[in-house]
Amino acid sequence: MKELIRDIDVLLRGGFTRREDLLEGRVCVPSSTLVRGGIVLGCLAGACSGLYGGLRPGVHASFWQLIATSAKVPLLFLLTLMVTVPSLYVFSALSGSRLAFKETLRLLLGAIAVNLALLASFGPVIAFFTVSTNSYPFMVLLNVLFFAVAGLGGLVFLRRALDLVFEGYAGEPAVESGTIAKEDEPEPADPPPLPVPGATEDGQPLESTREVSPEIPVWAQRLRPRPVERSEVVFRAWIVIYGVVGAQMGWILRPFIGSPDQPFELFREREHSFFWGVFKALGELFAG
Amino acid sequence: MRDADSLLRVRGAFAVDTAAVPWRRLLTVLVVSGFFYGAVMGSSNLRLLQMLFSGLKVPVLLLGAAVCCLPSFFVVNTLLGLRDDFAAACRGILAAQATVGVVLLGLAPITAVVYASTGDYAFAVTWNGGMFLVAALGGQLTLIRHYRPLVTRDPKHKIGRASWLVLYVFVTIQLAWVLRPFIGYANLPTRFFRADTWDNAYVVVVQTVLRALGI
Repeated sequence: MKELIRDIDVLLRGGFTRREDLLEGRVCVPSSTLVRGGIVLGCLAGACSGLYGGLRPGVHASFWQLIATSAKVPLLFLLTLMVTVPSLYVFSALSGSRLAFKETLRLLLGAIAVNLALLASFGPVIAFFTVSTNSYPFMVLLNVLFFAVAGLGGLVFLRRALDLVFEGYAGEPAVESGTIAKEDEPEPADPPPLPVPGATEDGQPLESTREVSPEIPVWAQRLRPRPVERSEVVFRAWIVIYGVVGAQMGWILRPFIGSPDQPFELFREREHSFFWGVFKALGELFAG
Repeated sequence: MRDADSLLRVRGAFAVDTAAVPWRRLLTVLVVSGFFYGAVMGSSNLRLLQMLFSGLKVPVLLLGAAVCCLPSFFVVNTLLGLRDDFAAACRGILAAQATVGVVLLGLAPITAVVYASTGDYAFAVTWNGGMFLVAALGGQLTLIRHYRPLVTRDPKHKIGRASWLVLYVFVTIQLAWVLRPFIGYANLPTRFFRADTWDNAYVVVVQTVLRALGI
């Protein structure tokens, strides 16, 4: 356990996503460590969210909700990842990421662990509001808010890592910027040899080399995606896919909090969607 | 008193960049000053029990919300790469909380005079709200002083401080609501908690605003 806590600490400090490792397409932490960390943190966060079910007003209070939510929170994140990781990997590979499948999985697991660490850290606040309020819609919205904020933390972690991954992939910003910056200068008498398309400077084949070619007009070179833009494209695609699937997965796995009007149930009937649920809670909160 | 003075001036043991953090002294200043103001705050009807309850509640309010928000502050600081400065950041926060207590202590005689001059409950509530606002601004001044070298070292500390403030204010408002009454209504018997204590401050505010708008 101590080792696991230490690993989570190293992850939060960015020790597993160091610049030099990501530049070489490595994420130096076993997936099993990240999964175990995610489960422990998710259980902690889930226990705090499910506390309302045990203490809720009315006759339906049940600590089974606490146990169920403790299991559901890590499940929510890991199941969503299982569903989305193939498409996420395809998107990143298409964009020229240097991360292999395993490394991509580790990076995503790392982002989830960061997300869950942040969510677990909100646990005391959620627990405090649980014992100090009876309002079910408020608790729903508070949990949605903290899930969103924690998700934002995971995204920041992911974004930083992706920027480094694609910075590593590009490896040629100096060439690109140099070409553009010197457009007005006279051409050198003996220009340095340009890299062979489809190969590295060493002549090794590359999956998708995008070296600047003198034949491409300057305006067209400016339109070429820079490494940061590449990472942004992948990042946005990941957010959309993971966000939509995650929200719906959360809806499938509900209830997480436990309505005071209904007895404990492990899963609810299939109906509507996550967004319908949020708007319903907002309506109930304002309607009193 | 010497400690309170050093705290306000950010000097001596309470200076910004001292190696040792005087946790115990900061806590003592916070609890003592908070208790004293709380006792004065609860004296509007001259009920000893209410004074005792309020005296206990103010330090709980100042410390409880901070303790509740500390885990997320820790994780946010770690994610921002500011873990090495975490002890200094915590010192700043505790010093700010203690400063709130000391400022309240300084305002306590004025509150006592206000109570002596009026028996209006609504005015007493508003007055104490104002006193807490002034004290909170004093606490912010101390926090800014403690954070200045940290922000100079790494501007990301601004994000850490902002995240702290948002969550802390959010939790403090609800904790203050739960810990009511601090003053004590003259027509009601003295109680530690109100019967409707497990309401939610935000829900009540939203519903009150909607009712006022006729929605």
